[in-house]
Amino acid sequence: MEPNDRDATSVSVRDRLWKAWLPGVAAVGALAALVAGSLRLRPTPRAAPANPQPAGAPGPGGQADTPAQPVRRFERTYSQSAALGGAASPERFFRSLTGIAVGPDDDIYLLGDDEIRVFDARGSRARSWQAPAHAGCLAAGPDGRVYVGSPDRVDIYDAGGAHLTGFTAGEKDKPADVTAIAVVETDILVADASARIIRRYGPDGKLRGLIGNQNKTGGFILPNRSLDVGVDARGVVYATDTGRHQVTAWARDGSPLGKFGKFGMSAPEDFVGCCNPVNLAVTPDGKVVTGEKMVARVKVYDPDGTLLAVIGPEHFDPSTTHIHLAVDSRGRILAADPMRREVKIFSLNQTLQERERP
Amino acid sequence: MSENSTRRQFIEGSCRVLGFVTIGGAAGLLTQRASANAVYQVDPFKCTSCDLCRTSCVLSLSAVKAVNDFEKCGYCMLCPAYMDVMSKPDERGIPTGKVCPQDALKRRVVGKVDTDDPNNNYYEYVVDEARCDGCGKCVKACMAPAGNASLRLEIRYSRCVECNECAIQIVCPDRAIVRVAAPGMAPAGPVR
Repeated sequence: MEPNDRDATSVSVRDRLWKAWLPGVAAVGALAALVAGSLRLRPTPRAAPANPQPAGAPGPGGQADTPAQPVRRFERTYSQSAALGGAASPERFFRSLTGIAVGPDDDIYLLGDDEIRVFDARGSRARSWQAPAHAGCLAAGPDGRVYVGSPDRVDIYDAGGAHLTGFTAGEKDKPADVTAIAVVETDILVADASARIIRRYGPDGKLRGLIGNQNKTGGFILPNRSLDVGVDARGVVYATDTGRHQVTAWARDGSPLGKFGKFGMSAPEDFVGCCNPVNLAVTPDGKVVTGEKMVARVKVYDPDGTLLAVIGPEHFDPSTTHIHLAVDSRGRILAADPMRREVKIFSLNQTLQERERP
Repeated sequence: MSENSTRRQFIEGSCRVLGFVTIGGAAGLLTQRASANAVYQVDPFKCTSCDLCRTSCVLSLSAVKAVNDFEKCGYCMLCPAYMDVMSKPDERGIPTGKVCPQDALKRRVVGKVDTDDPNNNYYEYVVDEARCDGCGKCVKACMAPAGNASLRLEIRYSRCVECNECAIQIVCPDRAIVRVAAPGMAPAGPVR
C-alpha cells in the first residue's frame, strides 16, 4: 500500500469515527439535559429536623418557627388590640400578676402586687384596694361583686372594694387550695387543687355540691397543682384536667356533660407537655378559650373540641407556667402573662366565612 | 544602753514570732476543721445539666446522681423527664421513647389505679442510682415550664472520693460545684 493510500484510508476512518461519534455525543448530551431538567423539576429533598418542635413553638431566637404541619386556615383570627401593665406602662405590676376577671360592665379586674386594680374597658384605672394576704385568683360575679381566692379562703367585695363577707373553703382537716373561682347565678364555684375537685358554695359559704369527683380515680389529675374553671351563658361548667390533657364540661349538679382534648406535640388541636391546658375562659357565644404552658399559647375551641383559633407563643413569655384568661362581653380575649406581668387584649378580626366572602 | 536595746529587741522579736505562730496555727487549725466538715455538692440553682458531671468525675460511674424531689414532683403520666415527648406515639397516643439513655428513671403507679386508662393514674418516679451516670438529661427535661423542676443533680457522699480538688468543679462552666457543710454539721455556708 502506498503512503497516500494509507493517508486516504486513515482520513476515511477518522471521518467514519467522527460521523459515528457525533450522534453518540449528541445523544449523551440530550440525555444529560433531560436528567438535569428532571432533577430541577423535582423539589429539593429536606432532611427531617433532629428535634422537631410543636406547631408554632418558638425557635431559638424566640420567634415562631415554620409550623411542622401544613399551613392551616383557622375559623377565627385574633389580633392584639391593647395592653395593660407591662414594663413601660405607668400601671405596671412590679412583683406579681396572678389573676384577671371581667365584670358585667366590662370593667377589668386585675390581681397583683397585693392589690386589686380595676380598669374601665378602655384601660384607664378606676379604683384599687388591698387584696387579702396570699390572694391568688379572682372572679367578678354577674351582680358586680368581686370574689377573691386565697389558699383556703374566698373573700367577697362589692364593686367599690368594700369587704362584704367571706368563707373558708375546704374541710376542717383538709383545707382547700383555691386556684380559680367562677360565679353563676347564686353559685360560687371554687376550684380546689388540693382535693382535685370543684366545690359549689352558696353566697353564705355553705357547700352545695361537688363537681369532678365522679371520675374513676376520684377527681381531676393535676400534676401542676392548677385547676381552672369557667361557666358559659347556659350554666355549663368547664374545667381544665391538665394531667389528662382535657377540657371537661359539667352540669352544676356534678354530672359530666362531655370532654375534649388529648396529648400531642404536633397537631395544634392537641395539648403539649406534661399537663395542659392550665387556664380557661368561656366567651359569650359559648366558645372555650384555653391557655397553655411549655408552648405558651392561647387557643379557642368550639364546645365539641373543634379548634377555631390559635394566638401564638410570640405574644407570651416562653417560660410562663400560666396564662390567666378572661373574656369581655364583646368577645375580646384578655390574657395575663404572670412572667411579663402584662395583660394583652386580643380582638376577633374576621371569621373564615367573612374572610372568604367575595 | 546597747545591752538594754538588744534585750528589748529580742523580746519584741520573740513576741512577734510567737504572735505569727499563734495566728498561723489557729488559721491552719480552722481551715483543717472547716475542710474536714465540708463536702462538695451541686448547687441546683446554678447547675444547667451540661453533662460534664458524667464525663469529668474521676469515678467510672459518676458520683453525681439525679434525685427526684417528691414534694415538687407532679407524678405525671406524661412525665417529660421519663418519656421523650417528641418520640413516636403508640396507638394510645403515648410517646414510646425514653429520655434516660441508661433507663435509670423507673416509675410505678401510686394511689387509686385505673388499669384501663393510664391517663387516670399518678406515677411515682425513682432514680435507679446503680444505673444513673449523672448526665442530667432528665433534669433538663423536667425544668419549668415543661415540668415541675422536681429533678436535680446531687453528689452522693457514699460514692464521692473527696478528691483534693474535685475534677468536676475544675471544669464546671456554671461554678455549680460548691463546698457545703457536711451532713450533720452546722450549715456554715459555702467554704470556698
